[in-house]
Amino acid sequence: MQDLPKTAVQIRTLNKWYGAFHVLKNIDLHVQRGSRVVVCGPSGSGKSTLIRCINGLEAYQDGAILLGGTMLGSQAKATALARRQTGMVFQGFNLFPHLTVLSNCTLALRRVLGKSRKEAEDLALHHLRKVKIPEQAHKYPAQLSGGQQQRVAIARAMCLSPRVMLFDEPTSALDPEMIKEVLDVMIGLAQDGMTMLCVTHEMGFAREVADQVVFMDEGRIIEQASPKAFFGGAVHPRARMFLETILH
Amino acid sequence: MGFDPEFALSTVPTILGAIGTTLLVAISSGLGASALGFCFEMVRRGGGTAGLITRFLIDFIRSTPVLAWLYFLYFVLPFYGIRLGAMSVGVIGLSLYFSGYLAEVFKAGIDAIPKGQQEAAKALSLGRLDTIVFVIAPQMLRNIAAPMGNYFVSILKATPYLAVLAVPEMLGRAFDVASETYRYAEPLTVAGILFLALALVISRAVKRLELRLFKDSSH
Ligand SMILES: Nc1ncnc2c1ncn2[C@@H]1O[C@H](COP(=O)(O)OP(=O)(O)OP(=O)(O)O)[C@@H](O)[C@H]1O
Ligand SMILES: [Mg+2]
Repeated sequence: MQDLPKTAVQIRTLNKWYGAFHVLKNIDLHVQRGSRVVVCGPSGSGKSTLIRCINGLEAYQDGAILLGGTMLGSQAKATALARRQTGMVFQGFNLFPHLTVLSNCTLALRRVLGKSRKEAEDLALHHLRKVKIPEQAHKYPAQLSGGQQQRVAIARAMCLSPRVMLFDEPTSALDPEMIKEVLDVMIGLAQDGMTMLCVTHEMGFAREVADQVVFMDEGRIIEQASPKAFFGGAVHPRARMFLETILH
Repeated sequence: MGFDPEFALSTVPTILGAIGTTLLVAISSGLGASALGFCFEMVRRGGGTAGLITRFLIDFIRSTPVLAWLYFLYFVLPFYGIRLGAMSVGVIGLSLYFSGYLAEVFKAGIDAIPKGQQEAAKALSLGRLDTIVFVIAPQMLRNIAAPMGNYFVSILKATPYLAVLAVPEMLGRAFDVASETYRYAEPLTVAGILFLALALVISRAVKRLELRLFKDSSH
C-alpha cells in the first residue's frame, strides 16, 4: 500500500470568473484524508462551482487545486489521473437512462479501468449491495424511485474507488420521505472512512457526520468551523442569518 | 387514351427490375449521409477553426441544389483526373447533399440530451470517444428516429435524380418504358405505387425501431 498524502484536497487562493463575474474569491480549503466537510450557504454563493472545480468539470483561472499532491490543470495526463480519484454525485442523479443500473455502474469500470465484464459486474454488485439495492441491478433508472436512483448514482461513483467523494445537494431533488435513505447511505460511507465534501442544507446530517462546516457567501468562504462551533454560535452575521432561515 | 390496367400490369416486371438499383442507391446514400452528417456535427460541436469551417460547409451544402452536386461530381471532377462511375457519383452526391440536413437532425437530437449526461460521463473519466459511443449516441438515436425516417424517405424520393446520370433506377426505367410505348400514365403510375410501397416500409421500420429504443423508459 502506497503512502497517501494526508491532505486529500488542497485549495489555495482559488479564483474563478465567468466572464466578468467573479464567482469564486480567494478560496482556501484543506480537506484532510478521512474527513467530512459540509459546504453550505445561500443560493448563488458558488458552492456548486467550487465543487465542480475540484473534479475538473469547471476550469479555474487563478490559484491552485491539488488532489493528493497533483495540481489540476498542470499537466493533462496527471490531471486525468488525479480527477479519477474523485467521485461525484449530482443533485439530479444524472444516471444514463438507456443503461440498466448494473451497466450504469460497469461502464466506466470497463472503459476507463479496462476491467473484464465479470470483474466489473462483481465490483458493481458489491457497491450496489452497499447502497442496499442489488435486486434492482437489471432495471432501468426510470423504473426506480428518486431515492433509489440517487443511491445507484452513489454506487456508480464508488465503483471507481475514489479517494474523495463530492456531493452537490444530493438530496434536494428528492421527496422528503426519500431523503433519509440517501443520507443513511452517505453516513455509511462516512463510517467507512471515506473522505467527503458535501454541499447540503441537511443540517442534521452536518451535525452528525461533518467534522468541518464551511459557509460560503458571494463567492467567499466566510466561516469555517466545527459543527459544534458553527451551530453553537456562528460568528458571521450572514451565517447566523442563514442558519436561522434554514433551521426554522 | 384511357388508363389500361392490363398494360400497367405488364410494365410491372420491367420497372420492378430496377427496384434493386433504387434500393441500393437509397440505402447506400442513407448510410453515407448519416455517417457524414454525424461526423460533420461532431466536428462542428468541437468548435475551433475546424468547427467554424464545418458550420459553413453544412450551410453551403444545404443551400445548393442536389442536381448541382451530381453535375459537378460527374462532369467537373474528371477534369481533375477524378473519374467516378455514374452509380458512385449518384451515391456520393446524395450522401453529401443529405449529410447537411442530417447534421441538423443530429444536432437537435444531441441538444435534447440533458447537460448532466455529459457531466456524469466526464465525472466518471470516460474519454471523448467513449462518451460519444456509449452515452450520447444511444440517447441521440431515440431522439432522432422519427426525423431520420423522414429523411430516409426523402432520400428514396431523390433517387430519380440519378436519371441525369443514366443510372437505371425505377422512375428512369418507367420513363424508358413510357417513351418506347408512348404511353405515360401506366408506367409512371406503377413507379409511383412502388415508391409509395417502399416509403411505407421505411416508416413501419422506423416505428418498430422507436418502440425498441424506448422500451427501457416509462414514455
Ligand atoms: N456557466 C455559468 N456562466 C455564468 N454564470 C454562472 C455559470 N454557472 C453559475 N453561474 C453563476 O455563478 C454563481 C454561483 O453559482 P453556483 O451554481 O456555484 O451557486 P450555488 O451556491 O451552487 O447555488 P445554489 O444553491 O442555487 O445551487 C451564480 O450567480 C450563478 O448564476
Ligand atoms: Mg448549486
